[in-house]
Amino acid sequence: MSNPLHEIKIADIDLADQRYKISLSEYDISFLALSIKETGLISPPIVRPLENKVIIVSGFNRIRAYLVNNETKIPVYKTKPDIDEYQCLLTAITQLSFKRPLTHAELILSIKRLNKFLNEKQIRDKSPAIFNMELNLRFIEDLLNIGALPDPAPALIHNGNLSFKSAKKISLFEKDTIDVFLNIFSKIKASNNKQLEIILHIMEISAREGIKPKDLYSKKIIKDILFNENKDPWLKTRDLRTCLFEQRFPALSKTRKTVQKKITGLKLNKKIKFMPPENFESRDFNISFTAKTHDEFTANIRNLVDALENDSLKEIF
Amino acid sequence: MKIDTLFIDKAIPLNPEIEYLISRVKLKPRLIENTKLVYDFINDSGDPVSKAKKTLYVTKNKGAVVRQCPGTSFYTCCDYTILHTGTFCTMDCSYCILQAYFHPPVLQYFAGMEMLDQGLEKQFRQNKIFRIGTGEYTDSLIWEKLSLVPEFLVKKFAHQTNCLLELKTKTVNIESLLSLDHNGKTVLAWSLNTPEIISSQEKATASLTARLEAAGRAESKGYKLAFHFDPLVIYPGCEIHYKKVIKQIFDHIHPENIVWISLGTFRFMPKLKQIIEKRFKDSSICYGEFILGLDNKMRYFKPLRISLYKQIISCIKEYAPKLLVYFCMEDEEVWEKCMGFFPKRKGELGHLLDKSAVRHCSLNSSLL
Ligand code: SF4
Repeated sequence: MSNPLHEIKIADIDLADQRYKISLSEYDISFLALSIKETGLISPPIVRPLENKVIIVSGFNRIRAYLVNNETKIPVYKTKPDIDEYQCLLTAITQLSFKRPLTHAELILSIKRLNKFLNEKQIRDKSPAIFNMELNLRFIEDLLNIGALPDPAPALIHNGNLSFKSAKKISLFEKDTIDVFLNIFSKIKASNNKQLEIILHIMEISAREGIKPKDLYSKKIIKDILFNENKDPWLKTRDLRTCLFEQRFPALSKTRKTVQKKITGLKLNKKIKFMPPENFESRDFNISFTAKTHDEFTANIRNLVDALENDSLKEIF
Repeated sequence: MKIDTLFIDKAIPLNPEIEYLISRVKLKPRLIENTKLVYDFINDSGDPVSKAKKTLYVTKNKGAVVRQCPGTSFYTCCDYTILHTGTFCTMDCSYCILQAYFHPPVLQYFAGMEMLDQGLEKQFRQNKIFRIGTGEYTDSLIWEKLSLVPEFLVKKFAHQTNCLLELKTKTVNIESLLSLDHNGKTVLAWSLNTPEIISSQEKATASLTARLEAAGRAESKGYKLAFHFDPLVIYPGCEIHYKKVIKQIFDHIHPENIVWISLGTFRFMPKLKQIIEKRFKDSSICYGEFILGLDNKMRYFKPLRISLYKQIISCIKEYAPKLLVYFCMEDEEVWEKCMGFFPKRKGELGHLLDKSAVRHCSLNSSLL
């Protein structure tokens, strides 16, 4: 696009109009402001004249940096007044995607907006020119499904509370269930795998008990974890996972706890590891210890011999 | 499910066996040269499994007709012999392993009874007891409505003394077998479950009562019987329901005519879960307390299996103390805790079953 360069007053820019904002990164722009002071503006923002004002098509952060520098004017490229929405959107997306790869959240936002003008196949065909990479149809459909998730999904995806895979998974659920997961992921902080595990367990417990995930979410035991103001999101995640595991695998959890209690009852020193078989499918318990010296070795053996007299040991096997 | 498409391999001669099948299926066959056409026909469907249940492919068995059941190393297997007469099934159980076993699943009828004949003649000449079944990769008796094979097999086994034929089913398709001279060498076996599981997970199969009534009719014609509680599904109240099923068995059948009863809780290859979730949206069968077993199949947490087995075994023993009950694919701990012993040596379980086969079906006891 060959837009003419102008110098305009920053006051004439409608900063509140963010319809073309694609970048979701709200990073500290003090370095950018300093850089502009030092070397000048390398690439001026693009703006679109609209009624008495101009709105930003690309360069939101550069304009913010100018404001930080207490500038009142800024050089910009002005689009033609008769430019259409689609062209502006394309400019906004390509300006960013040819600068750096878009994040998932930015891709979702871009595709959702583009879908007002292009269908999925057209987006796929034009994707190298718009996104600087090829997007396949399935991925575009996933992005659109995720893009249809209600608030606060975009923010959760952007800040990492909701992974792309989790978002994709919950986008296929009914509305009430989607709300349940958005509420949960607003309150906890979990890795992708842990998010998927939480989704899986909630769906499976609900299916087995013949209840809706909403009903499970409403249980006091879950609410007590999620709404505990004294716990940080990581601890809430740990507690929620434990609670869900106990509900998903009640007998296994109970057995693990019982056996662990008995192992503790053996009063083995910390150097001795006594591991029950995984999920108790095999019968092989694993016992190992480390010893740096002959004395340590002897102490461990004595500790194990003492354990032979302990009733807990017989109960374990 | 009703078969609505019939493919026949062009190389198969249109002999009475095939003509009979065509007349029973009542469809105009599509003669094809390349199996790929059938695969594509099935795979192009949104639900290949359902499509395959309605698409019959008559072809030649390109592998061995008689095979040893594969078993696995961690769980005790029963040394069964499989007679390969066809694959897949027209019924639709949510838990059916065959959905995930074949790629794609194809309802195949292996034409050529002379091949079966030759394969069996070889078995009959061996100095060893064999328990042979057709119900490993298909339901044995869905074919009774379509082909002469079940009838042929019953007659074929009747006059030899080292092989037992087990026809395992969830149908009541026994009409053509009732009047045959089976000479006690064929065991008609029914897979049983609770009415709750049959109605929710075993689509298009016969009801429990119908199965037991069919078993009663077979017994009245001198057939020996077997029952398989496989898969046992754990759900609230299942113990009471399974005990009721056991009572019903003995309301219909005399214990001395039952050759064996097998027990096996639901287990599945992890990839089956996706298929069940996709095809049986209302099924919660995969959401029990499953853990990954040593054979990489999902199995119920062992104490749950043991608890259910114990109750079922003691219930069976109340009605029939001497009846042979065995586990399909269980380990030493389960055997010991539930049965009080473990057939540790290789072939030991097989031997126990052989003994019961010899006793019930008048096989040659000197081969034991
Ligand atoms: S009857 Fe047996 S073979 Fe047929 S669908 Fe059910 S489990 Fe599978």
